[in-house]
Amino acid sequence: MTKRKITGPKPVIFFLLKLTVIMFFIAPFYISIVYAVKSPEETIKTGLAFPTGIYWENFTEAVRVSNFFSAAKNSVIVTAACVLILMVVCTMAAYVIARNLKSRLYSGMYYFFLAAIMLPFQVVMMPLYVQLKNMGLLNTRIGLILTISGFQTAYNIFVYVGFIRTIPVEMEEAAYIDGAGKFYTFWKIVFPLMKPIISSTLVLNALTVWNDFTTSLIIAQRPEVRTIPLTQYFFFGEYNIELNMAFAAFVMAMIPIIILYLLMQKYIIGGVMAGAVKG
Amino acid sequence: MTIKLKKRLTNLAFLLPALLLFGTMVVLPFISGAKISFTDWDGFSEVYNFVGMKNYLKIFKDPTIGEPIKNSLFFTAVTVIGNNLFGLLLAMALKKNTRVNRIFRTFVFMPFIISLVLTGFIWSYIYSDVFYELLGIKSLLGNKKTVMLGICIMGMWRDIGYAMLIYLAGLNAISDTYYEAAEIDGAGPFTKFRYVTLPMIAPAMTINITLFLGWGLKVFDYAMTVTHGGPGRASETFALYVYNYTFPYNKAGYGQAAAIVMMAAIVVITGIVTFFLRRREVDL
Repeated sequence: MTKRKITGPKPVIFFLLKLTVIMFFIAPFYISIVYAVKSPEETIKTGLAFPTGIYWENFTEAVRVSNFFSAAKNSVIVTAACVLILMVVCTMAAYVIARNLKSRLYSGMYYFFLAAIMLPFQVVMMPLYVQLKNMGLLNTRIGLILTISGFQTAYNIFVYVGFIRTIPVEMEEAAYIDGAGKFYTFWKIVFPLMKPIISSTLVLNALTVWNDFTTSLIIAQRPEVRTIPLTQYFFFGEYNIELNMAFAAFVMAMIPIIILYLLMQKYIIGGVMAGAVKG
Repeated sequence: MTIKLKKRLTNLAFLLPALLLFGTMVVLPFISGAKISFTDWDGFSEVYNFVGMKNYLKIFKDPTIGEPIKNSLFFTAVTVIGNNLFGLLLAMALKKNTRVNRIFRTFVFMPFIISLVLTGFIWSYIYSDVFYELLGIKSLLGNKKTVMLGICIMGMWRDIGYAMLIYLAGLNAISDTYYEAAEIDGAGPFTKFRYVTLPMIAPAMTINITLFLGWGLKVFDYAMTVTHGGPGRASETFALYVYNYTFPYNKAGYGQAAAIVMMAAIVVITGIVTFFLRRREVDL
C-alpha cells in the first residue's frame, strides 16, 4: 500500500478540534493551579490569565486549616498497608483457586468472589460499623485498613486468577518433582512470574484506597485518623473556604497522585485493562 | 498423614488469610445486615423488635422514594451513554500512535486518577465562580432542574478517559486486513464503521456499559459531598437515600432494607443488560 501524503487544511482542522476537546479535560487542572497560586487581589484583577508568581500564603493557610499533613500521613499509611495486604493475601488465594478450578469447591469459590464484586458498600455499612465498634476498631486506621482490604479482596482474586490461568503449570510440576513444597514453588516460581499483573493491580489498588471516601466516611471519621478525601469533605463542609485557599488545598491533594500517574502510567493503564470488570 | 490431606491443608493455608479477611469484613456484616433489615432498630439502642417484612413494604409505599430512584437512573443513563459515546469518539480520534496523541490520551485519562470528592469540589467551584464570572451562567448545582446534569458532567469528565482506554484496546486489536478487504469491496467510512469497527469492539462496549452501569447505580460521593442531595432533595441518589436513613435519620432497620433492595436492583439490572449485550455480541 502506498502511503498517501496528507495535505490541505483537513488535518489542521482535525487537530484543532481535538485540541478543543482536550481543553475540556485539562481546563479544571489549569484553573485549579492558576487559582491556587494567585492572591485574592490578583484573582480579581487577572482572573484566569497565566499567574505572575506564587502566592505561598494560600498553601500555608490551607495546610494549617485543613490539617493537611496529618491527613496525608493517614492516607499514606492506610494505602501502603492495604496494598501490601492485598498483594500477599490475594495472590496466594488466587493461586490455589486458579490451579484447582476443575474442582467444584474451588470454582464455586471463584464465582462467589466474582459475584461479590458487584456488592454495594451500603449493604454492609451499618453492620460493619457495629461490628468494628464492638471489636474496638471503629475510628482506627487498622479498622479502616481491614475494611478496605476486605472489600477489595474479591476483585483482586478475580484479576489474579485470570492471570495465573495463563501461566503454564509445567514449571511448577518440575519443581514439585524436585521435591519443592507448595510455599517454595509459589513464592520462588509463580509469584515472580506474576510481576506484571501485580504491579498493575498494585497501582490500581493504591488509587482506589487513596481516593476512597464512602468507606472512610463510615469507619474513620475522628479527626486524628481522617484520610485526605475525608479531611476535604469536612474542611469544605464546615467552613466557607476562600476561593484561592480552596484551590491550594485541591492542588496539594492532586500533586502526589498526579506524580504517581505520570511515573506509573504504563501500570495504571495495564491495571485498567486487566480489571475491566471492576464493580 | 495422607498425601491428600496434606495437600488439602496446604491449600487451606493459602486460602485462609483471604477467607478470614473477606469473611469478617464482608460476609459476616452481610448476614447480620440481612437480619437488621427485618427489625425496627434505630442504630444505637440496645433493644429492637422484629417487624417481619414491614420495612420492605414501607420502601415501596414511601412517596419520597421516586426522586432518588429517578436521580440514580438519570445519572446512570446519561453517564453510560455519554462515557461510551465520547470515549469511543476519542479513542477513534486518538487511535494512531503518534507523540501528540499519546500526550492527548494522558490528559484525557488524567481526571480518572483524582478522587470523586476532589472532582466534586473542583467542579462546584468551577460552576459557582469560574462559569459565573466568565460566562454569566449560574451554577448548575444551585438549580433543582439542572443539578443532576451538573453532577453528570463532572462524572463524565472523570470517567470518559477510562472508557477511551477500553475502546483503544478494542480498536488496536482489529487487524488492518479487515479494513483493506472492506475498501476493496467499495465500503465508505460509515459502512466500514458499521460493519467492521462496531462488531469488533462489541466486547469492549459490553465492558464499558456494564461497568458504568454498576458505578452509576451506586453513585454516592458527588451528591454526598457537594450538594448534600440538594437543593431540596433534587440530587438525592438512591445510595444517599440509604445512607440518610441508616445514619442521620437513625432508622437503621429501614435503611438496611433499602440497601438490600438497592443491591437486588443492581444485580437484576446489570444481569439483564449483560445478558442482552452478550447475545448482541454474537449477532453483530
